[in-house]
Amino acid sequence: MKFLRVALDVPLANLFDYTLPPGLSAQAGDRVLVPFGTRRRVGVVVETAAETAIEAERLKPIARVLDDAPRLPRDWLELMRFLAGYYQRPLGETVASSLPPRLRSLRELPRATERHYRAAGSAPGAETLKSGWKRSLLDALGAGCLAEDALLAPFGARRAAARTALRALLRAGWVERALPESGTRFQPSHAPSAAQDAAIERVAQALGQFRPFLLHGVTGSGKTEVYLQLVARVLARGGQALVLVPEISLTPQLEARFRHAFPDTRLALLHSALEDGARTSAWLEAARGEAGIVLGTRLAVLTPLPRLALVVVDEEHDASFKQQEGLRYSGRDAAVYRAKLASCPAVLGTATPSLETWYNCQAGRYALLELPARASPGSVLPRVRTIDLRRESPEQGLAPSLVAAIQARLERGEQSLVFINRRGYAPVLACEACGWTAGCERCSARMVLHAADRRLRCHHCGAESAIARACPTCGNVDLTALGRGTQRVEETLAERFPQARIVRIDRDSARRRAQLAEALAGIRRGEADILVGTQLLAKGHDFPALTLVGVLNADSALVSTDYRAPERLFATLAQVAGRAGRRERPGEVLVQTRYPGHPLYAALARHDYAGFAAAQLAERRAAGFPPYVSEAALGAEAKQLARAMQFLRAAATLVAPPEEVRIYDPVPAILTRRAGLERARLLVQSPSRSALQEFLRAWSERLFAVAPRDVRWHLDVDPIEFD
Amino acid sequence: MRGTNRVALSGTLLELGRLRYTPAGVPVIDFRLRHESRRTEAGAERAVSAEFEAIAFEVQANLVSGAAPGSALRLEGFLCAKSRRSKKLVLHATHIEFVEGD
Repeated sequence: MKFLRVALDVPLANLFDYTLPPGLSAQAGDRVLVPFGTRRRVGVVVETAAETAIEAERLKPIARVLDDAPRLPRDWLELMRFLAGYYQRPLGETVASSLPPRLRSLRELPRATERHYRAAGSAPGAETLKSGWKRSLLDALGAGCLAEDALLAPFGARRAAARTALRALLRAGWVERALPESGTRFQPSHAPSAAQDAAIERVAQALGQFRPFLLHGVTGSGKTEVYLQLVARVLARGGQALVLVPEISLTPQLEARFRHAFPDTRLALLHSALEDGARTSAWLEAARGEAGIVLGTRLAVLTPLPRLALVVVDEEHDASFKQQEGLRYSGRDAAVYRAKLASCPAVLGTATPSLETWYNCQAGRYALLELPARASPGSVLPRVRTIDLRRESPEQGLAPSLVAAIQARLERGEQSLVFINRRGYAPVLACEACGWTAGCERCSARMVLHAADRRLRCHHCGAESAIARACPTCGNVDLTALGRGTQRVEETLAERFPQARIVRIDRDSARRRAQLAEALAGIRRGEADILVGTQLLAKGHDFPALTLVGVLNADSALVSTDYRAPERLFATLAQVAGRAGRRERPGEVLVQTRYPGHPLYAALARHDYAGFAAAQLAERRAAGFPPYVSEAALGAEAKQLARAMQFLRAAATLVAPPEEVRIYDPVPAILTRRAGLERARLLVQSPSRSALQEFLRAWSERLFAVAPRDVRWHLDVDPIEFD
Repeated sequence: MRGTNRVALSGTLLELGRLRYTPAGVPVIDFRLRHESRRTEAGAERAVSAEFEAIAFEVQANLVSGAAPGSALRLEGFLCAKSRRSKKLVLHATHIEFVEGD
């Protein structure tokens, strides 16, 4: 007797056993319709088994096998097992959350694109066919690839016979299935430089085998061109390429480059902001092997790709590759694992590698490819200087020399960018008469003042309120906005430069993707003089006329307690600095700071990522932080902090850790209250990843078993956020 | 309202801040006032001269913002410390009248 283990989208940790009724056949990877309680659900057969622990009378048969999508392939199921195991989540939940919702519903899926055929490249013996059905079919395909319908239509009433002949040709290998519109025509925008060429060749030599590469290229060095050239080679070999980008906002630009470079290739776009229908179609195109290129954010890594031959992760250092809920996977690490399963190269590209990746390179696990110079003719890296705020006192947050530099750009008709990583008008609304500040009722955080629509917003839980007319404690009406965000900087610049066209880009100005794309296109066309923005403006964009970047408020990250803060700050500043001077006109970067001698700024000015990384790694090694140890964090949220702490203290004693694994004392989160819940966390470390994994397996099993109802908890493996 | 804090004062407008708005959108103006008069004290009449920092809100703020330096006005209000950190007194004008050639 054969039993099917089925993953279902239900909040239970286990798989569910079903029997296979006579007349049906199913195997691992099939989507099946099963009775569950009083309802029917769609699940995925994860494995078949010869035995079951369930009593025979309680076992039910599956109702149906769904075949409107390809069977989920073996390597995909393998990826699911790895992710569920490594990140300590139930396999059923992992499988269910990795599929687009439509694949888990009873609604029928859109049909596959019609079959296409082409004459095989080499067909020994085909020339002996002088006439007949087969000869006619081969002649028809001589002109190129045809859809089945178009190929058989001329045969009219004798279509059935023609179809039989077609099958025979397929069996003989003289005709093969082709992908519609899957031309592999490649239009490179320019010839690669020597450095690009060297990188392309090294990856190309590894095609067909697993090999991770770090493509370390300075900003503007043409990493995308390397991706395009590699994708072209992969398409020519009949493979699929998976390209991951950190943010949805970056996809339109990259999508345009890919579509331009591969005008005949099907490209499937996958990200979380897609409508259900669009996401389902893109997923199906990828899974059916119709799309040659799959471009998307981290969730795209979870798509089945039958012919996967290249994995690219752009801006691999970006924190948004780590999912922060449910299955807390790293899209980058999952991508490397996928490349391993598919025996293909993985290319991680960035100007500022994550220290984990850099460390992997130094340990020889990843091969290093360097693009040390900018690609555009005449373009050099920008000159980076600090402005000492102790000597130059800023007016409304802007140092006089920064204002003068903007003025000079306006006179020359060049663009300036003022970068401040804080949206809103001001981070604090205060009463100077009594000391009150506007706080969020549900978080241990202050409400941020938004001037455009006169609201207070909590950036942690999204709570909103009207701005108090008077201080709720003392009644003072003359409340003060302290500090500054993008809106206030925009206001200040508008007062100082009334003639300038100022564009602000942050999550508030670009709530919808289309708005952002439009604003960015406008900037590229030169329809703005001064840009004010958050990190939304920092990444990946290419603004030809931009020659000045001013950085405000960077120091706050230097005094953070998070040991990853300097790494992030360096990456952000190198990224935003990289927007300046990407063409012939040289760029300049001015960083306002009270610590002009800080080594981080010095490394930034030298464009010395390697030096910065070496210093950071030395500190991490000395302090016993990742990548020298592996970490997991158990987070707990409860109505009362004491309850969360109590839960964590009890959790720490559930399983005795082996010698190499160390459990730290629980500590309240820095942002102790968020959205009405109080939070604490407990850190587990080990110099051995496998020892930690083994402990986590036993531990999470116990945690799932004892979890109390009044505490929300999650286990985060390789955590990167400690807020 | 417990405690007494009432000021009535005439004077001329010395300096005028820019009409500004609180984050909630209430108009505010800071201004300075010069007061000169003769008062009786310890059985003798004496000259009094003083300058005041003052603030006005809403209608009063709009009223003051339209006036030119040198204008004569009479106001009523109360005194309050400038901020938690400064003991300097500021006259909060709750009623303002412009007077002709005082």
